[in-house]
Amino acid sequence: MLLVPGAVGLWLVTGGRALAPSTARLVALVAASVGGAAAVAATVMRPVVDRAWIPDLGVRWHFEVDGVSAPLVVLTAVIGVLVVAHAFVEQPWADAPGSGSAATYLGALLLVVAGALAAFSARDAVLFFLAFEVVLVPMWVLISRYGDRHGAAARADASARFILYTAVGSTLMLVGILLLVTRAGTADLGELPSAAAGLGLGEQTTIALLLTLGLAVKVPVFPLHTWLPAAHTTAPTAGSVLLAAVLLKLGTYGLVRLPIANVPDGFARIAPVLAIAGVVGILWGGLICLVERDLKRLIAFSSVAHMGFVVLALASGTETGLQAALIGNIAHGVISALLFVIVGGLKHRWGSVDLAVVRPALREVSPRLGFALILGLAAGLGLPGLAGFWGEFLALLAAWNPAHHTGILRTCAVIAAVGAALAAAYSLRVARVVWVGDAVPDDVAGDPDAAPSTPDARSVELAVMGVLGTAVVAIGVAPFLVLSVTADAVTALVGGGR
Amino acid sequence: MNGALWVAHLLVGIPVLASVLTLALRRTPALAALVATGAGLVSVVVSFVGMAVAPTRGVNLLQLREPLRVGSIEMPFELGSGPSTVAVAAVVAVVAAAVLVFTRWYLADDDRLAQFAATVLLFTAAMMLVVHARDLVLTLVGWEVMGWCSYLLIGHWSRKESARRAAHKAFLVTRVADIAFVLGIVILAAGAGSTGLDAVVAHWSEGGVEPWVRSLALAFVVIGVLGKSAQFPFQDWLPDAMEGPTPASALIHAATMVAAGTVVLAQLFEVLVVADGARWLLGLATAVTMVGAAVLALGQSDLKRLLAWSTVSQVAIMLSALATTTKELGPDPALFHLWSHAVFKSLLFLTIGWLSVVAGSTLAVALRGSANVHQLARVAWLFGLLALAGAPFVVGGLSKEHVITTAYEGAIGAGGPGVIVLAALLVTVVLTAAYATRAHLVVAAALPDGESLDDEARMPSAPVIVALAVLTVVTVVGGLVLLTGLFDIHGVSPWWMLLTVVLILIGGGTVWSARSRTTDGDPRDAFVRTPRQRALADGGLGFDTAYRRVVVTPVLGLARVVAFLDREVVDGYVRGAAASAGIAGWLTERGHRREAASGGVALVALGLLVAAGTAVLAWR
Repeated sequence: MLLVPGAVGLWLVTGGRALAPSTARLVALVAASVGGAAAVAATVMRPVVDRAWIPDLGVRWHFEVDGVSAPLVVLTAVIGVLVVAHAFVEQPWADAPGSGSAATYLGALLLVVAGALAAFSARDAVLFFLAFEVVLVPMWVLISRYGDRHGAAARADASARFILYTAVGSTLMLVGILLLVTRAGTADLGELPSAAAGLGLGEQTTIALLLTLGLAVKVPVFPLHTWLPAAHTTAPTAGSVLLAAVLLKLGTYGLVRLPIANVPDGFARIAPVLAIAGVVGILWGGLICLVERDLKRLIAFSSVAHMGFVVLALASGTETGLQAALIGNIAHGVISALLFVIVGGLKHRWGSVDLAVVRPALREVSPRLGFALILGLAAGLGLPGLAGFWGEFLALLAAWNPAHHTGILRTCAVIAAVGAALAAAYSLRVARVVWVGDAVPDDVAGDPDAAPSTPDARSVELAVMGVLGTAVVAIGVAPFLVLSVTADAVTALVGGGR
Repeated sequence: MNGALWVAHLLVGIPVLASVLTLALRRTPALAALVATGAGLVSVVVSFVGMAVAPTRGVNLLQLREPLRVGSIEMPFELGSGPSTVAVAAVVAVVAAAVLVFTRWYLADDDRLAQFAATVLLFTAAMMLVVHARDLVLTLVGWEVMGWCSYLLIGHWSRKESARRAAHKAFLVTRVADIAFVLGIVILAAGAGSTGLDAVVAHWSEGGVEPWVRSLALAFVVIGVLGKSAQFPFQDWLPDAMEGPTPASALIHAATMVAAGTVVLAQLFEVLVVADGARWLLGLATAVTMVGAAVLALGQSDLKRLLAWSTVSQVAIMLSALATTTKELGPDPALFHLWSHAVFKSLLFLTIGWLSVVAGSTLAVALRGSANVHQLARVAWLFGLLALAGAPFVVGGLSKEHVITTAYEGAIGAGGPGVIVLAALLVTVVLTAAYATRAHLVVAAALPDGESLDDEARMPSAPVIVALAVLTVVTVVGGLVLLTGLFDIHGVSPWWMLLTVVLILIGGGTVWSARSRTTDGDPRDAFVRTPRQRALADGGLGFDTAYRRVVVTPVLGLARVVAFLDREVVDGYVRGAAASAGIAGWLTERGHRREAASGGVALVALGLLVAAGTAVLAWR
């Protein structure tokens, strides 16, 4: 089984909590690398694992990687290695004494990655749900025990909010899945579309609604997003990266796999609402970013805005839209991971990332960190040649020629284009505050010791940023790397539903 | 693949690779700048080869890769070439090379020289991409990358607050206009089912499409062009962009960014010419801009800003040619003016960069008499201004003549905004002659007795002198490019030439005579008399304040409201649900005290309430 290395590694670590940090780190890194390598190999060779598991329910232990999930599997594998490597830079267990051991922290990271890999490759609806749930608990551990060392209350609030929100979402999704599976008589994602095609429109709509609502929490779609900024702000850097690059992707992936693939007619009925929610999210997130003072919260709200584009693309219901959503998904994963690594690093150095505090300009004092930041911001504002552009542009194209509800979706496209300009405004705002300026701010010029020091990124941190930065440029310059992988699967998906 | 396409490929590829290389060499800035300059010169050679092997129009497409199909949309990713394309590419290469040569001298002591040179190269590559693109997505890529590079170049001296602000403003203003540009491209591509230029033009220029949709799509593109080209009402970012180093200004103004709009609209010409709404929009905006900017140029106290406003006015002239031209005349008069403007405006900017080193400032007061530093400075400045004013036979004069003829033909032949544009053009000719005369009188004035500018430290390096000399020569004889037949241009009538000469003499003469009426010899003071008028002229008629009042303040206000709503209303439901669950738990606990099931009941109640809360949220 492909996922065994990851799973075994993490069970070892959770079992061996008393392990010394250095040993644990090494074990975790090896486990993540082996798991990652296996996952990449799986996307190339496409093996199939299919065993009966709970025969009475027709649930099977069925894993397979296809075009839709392949990019996400690779993304998760790479991010998994990077977050574990990042533990060499930032050590949440050491920063907050009494929070827990290094082994638990690393084990939680590995569990999240393994769960996500399982979810992305699961070909059985119930199995997908289980894998989806596996991710939640370790994430909760990461936020509540290894989060921001300054506020226990904030940690408790953020983690409770995270778990409540997503648990409620999962409940709705579970009801939806069960309804779908019992009505269609199979849980196999390959057979479900044709099996579910015979359902009446009312049933389809109900199922689509339940599934979409449940998954929308995870994406997150406005107005179900308020757990995200809190979770991002308090989570340790690695946690934020996982949240942005892996967990949010589970939501959109689920939307593609469950409602769109299986109950397309029902999904089409609720699509306009989803599109409007997505567009409102774009504007909502963008506007808040213009006035938000905490840089981590700002990046989190920008995630809400970017996922708005993905949702809009999905709501268009066309092949172009699905393609846009998938590449937008990957791009957002890479870009926000990069930004969270940088911002997490800044928070680690400065103690807080309040934009109102005047600090030395990154461009002057730590050019490498500054360069990575400006690259991330440029990608975030959708600069062509970097990853973010393709998802946004294709989403607009798809929304202009949707499969249904042309009027509403065209209006949404226009508003979304305005939202893209907001992205430019807030990205430049951050650049102007953090990146450019004087090496020594005026108000501390007389007293060099008062200025917080900002050592530049080195070794592992630099490598992590380098990998992510390269990915941002590579996807931007050669979008067909992703698009051609997903193309056939998307055609099958849309065609199969019709 | 034939020669011309190799050239197209190389012209985009060389600067990109050189840019990466230059950035990699940033620890040895001198070497990096040398590499960058070398790449610039190689591009020039390649572009000249391109002119030699120039193909005829229409048969010259290069697939960058297999066409990409994204759902129902096809993306061919083609580069192409054509007669006017190679001419424009050549001038872009020449200007970029001159700018790089100049940068090596001008920013020799700058600690971010390599980064600057790398950005200049990337900028050039982006422009080359726009010039050669036969795919709207590639156009958009080049377009936005140029915007980003302009942000980096204008904000190069990021330790200066004014530079930071100017860069910020430039990017945001153009990005706001690009909302429309992106939408325009989306509509065009979605309608044609392809982003390939040929497919788009074929689909939208035929009779079957709804005229208003076509006009709407093109009007969106035009709005984007107005933003990037600093036309009314987006004009105010360009003068502020003078905060950037002078080589950056030369590049942005002469051959790239502001001129890109002309190239894009020329590519879409066959659609534009049948989209009347878009033509009216373009015609009116450019008519207002060319006159207004010329007036402002006359009133500037800073000569670099004078050049900036003159760019705004000149770009309006080239765009106006596109608004008025007929199907028979084609887009080439506009492209020819782009070509000549690139030559003389880069000459003027590089010269003023040199003079500002001599004088220590770009203010008219400081620059007084600075051209006496060297004979070349005097000659370059004079011919640059002659071309700007449109004197006959120098390159700017010829091209402006063609624009006027085009407007006339359009006015009598094709309806559209021709008459208004023609009137604005004639007024602009007078005003341009006036401010060009002023710029000359100030810079070439005799130095007071006993002062001398002989200073070795202020002399540029030999390559810079060569570059300026080359640009001067091209400014004088550049009109000969018409003999190559690369631009498809018809003749001009001698009567129009006579009329423009008269108008130029009127404008120049007025300023010349006004000089005697002023105390310090700057003719401006005869036109802009009170301090308040001066402040108004230097502030661009207060458009900066207008941008802030009309756009920035309301958006920020809205953002605060949204942030409040997010915190207190959307999140309020969530907190409310949590609180009510807590209360319910407490109540149940009291009701079931000492009963084993209480915990379970509380959990059930909590679950129910949370589910209800979320449902309310979702249905709101």
